[in-house]
Amino acid sequence: MTKDQEGYALGTVIDEATAVTLEEISFFCSVRRERIVALVDEGVLEPKGREAGEWRFAGHSLRRAARAIRLQQDFEIDVAAVALVLDLLDQIESLKARLPPNARN
Amino acid sequence: MEFKDYYKTLGVERNASADDIKRAYRKLARQFHPDINKTPGAEARFKEIGEAHDVLKDPEKRAAYDEVGAGYQAGQEFRPPPGWDAGFEHGEAFSETDAAAASDFFEALFGRARGPRRGPGAGFATEGFRAEGIKIRGGDHQAKVLIDLEDAYRGAQRTISLRGVELGEEGRPRLRQRTLNVQIPKGIRQGQQIRLAGQGEPGIGGGPPGDLYLEIEFNPHSLYRVEGKDVYLDLPVTPWEAALGKKVRAPTPEGAVNLQIPAGSAAGRKLRLKGRGIPGEPPGDLYVVLQIALPAAETDAARRIYRDMEEKLDFNPRAKLGV
Repeated sequence: MTKDQEGYALGTVIDEATAVTLEEISFFCSVRRERIVALVDEGVLEPKGREAGEWRFAGHSLRRAARAIRLQQDFEIDVAAVALVLDLLDQIESLKARLPPNARN
Repeated sequence: MEFKDYYKTLGVERNASADDIKRAYRKLARQFHPDINKTPGAEARFKEIGEAHDVLKDPEKRAAYDEVGAGYQAGQEFRPPPGWDAGFEHGEAFSETDAAAASDFFEALFGRARGPRRGPGAGFATEGFRAEGIKIRGGDHQAKVLIDLEDAYRGAQRTISLRGVELGEEGRPRLRQRTLNVQIPKGIRQGQQIRLAGQGEPGIGGGPPGDLYLEIEFNPHSLYRVEGKDVYLDLPVTPWEAALGKKVRAPTPEGAVNLQIPAGSAAGRKLRLKGRGIPGEPPGDLYVVLQIALPAAETDAARRIYRDMEEKLDFNPRAKLGV
């Protein structure tokens, strides 16, 4: 791990430009890769590349996948339902971001 | 330690059926799940609900809880009877999340056997990676870091304390507390992650350690709201500043600036300060949204001016409404 002059750890920022592999996502979510492939099949995650081995996901996919897996497990819902939940949550978040700060909760 | 009334937590009667308990849990979980509810306190509430459900859904644990808890009220000082849990098996592998999640009360009753929570952040006892006699990479860990919007403009330093499990002698997991000094880079945005390679769970059998992911969250700001890398500020202006134009002072996360209000501005007009959003390549923009503030008509002088406008200005703001 790299550090700056004062000894603070410098990490890597994961942003849209960061390419993440199927392996990295499955490992991050602690699930088999089939679970991630199922999320891709449902359109929850949209990697670039034709075959699973070549898939490259945008950086925010790590969080999105983890969220999807947690929701699936905690509510025992299938992949289609989780896709719907995530889309609705996205809509709520973008609407909330437009509200003035004191009206958000 | 305080006695926890798990029935009260789920809002069910003590004689509730397994179905009642499941229903109550599901309903509360949908409300407080931290992936759904971002309000402060929701996550803590969700953990309490989960803990209560863990106990009440399991007939054996529920019976043990009922026995030991008879006569206690929520919040009352609680002392488990000596040797009462001798029959329980503890010591299952647990992750950082679980150790932090279970209350002292729960641990006193059932040891640290809650979970292991499967899925993200669950550490090494996870599906797909369980094997013996081979090298296994340690699990990835996640932690949330709260910063201010200003920190994203300047960069910041944070000392993070982590509670994790490491494998001690004879491969037994033990708790380890450590701190890590981290540089939060300038230009970081809400929801982005910082990956610290090798700072996650230690590997097994000489395997490499996992990574630590820090998820950045902004503290709510009293002045600004943030959308991606763009920042919004509501700026109150007077009617004459909006109508006639004026150079005014406006705050920005980098310090106050002079801002020209163009003549003829309507309420809600957005003025873009290019590149004054969150830094980056390219940086975001700062949008100043004009809010027209009316002076109170509390003095004769003020009332006179309003009457004057009423008489001299031919102005009907409802013309377009057809009235």
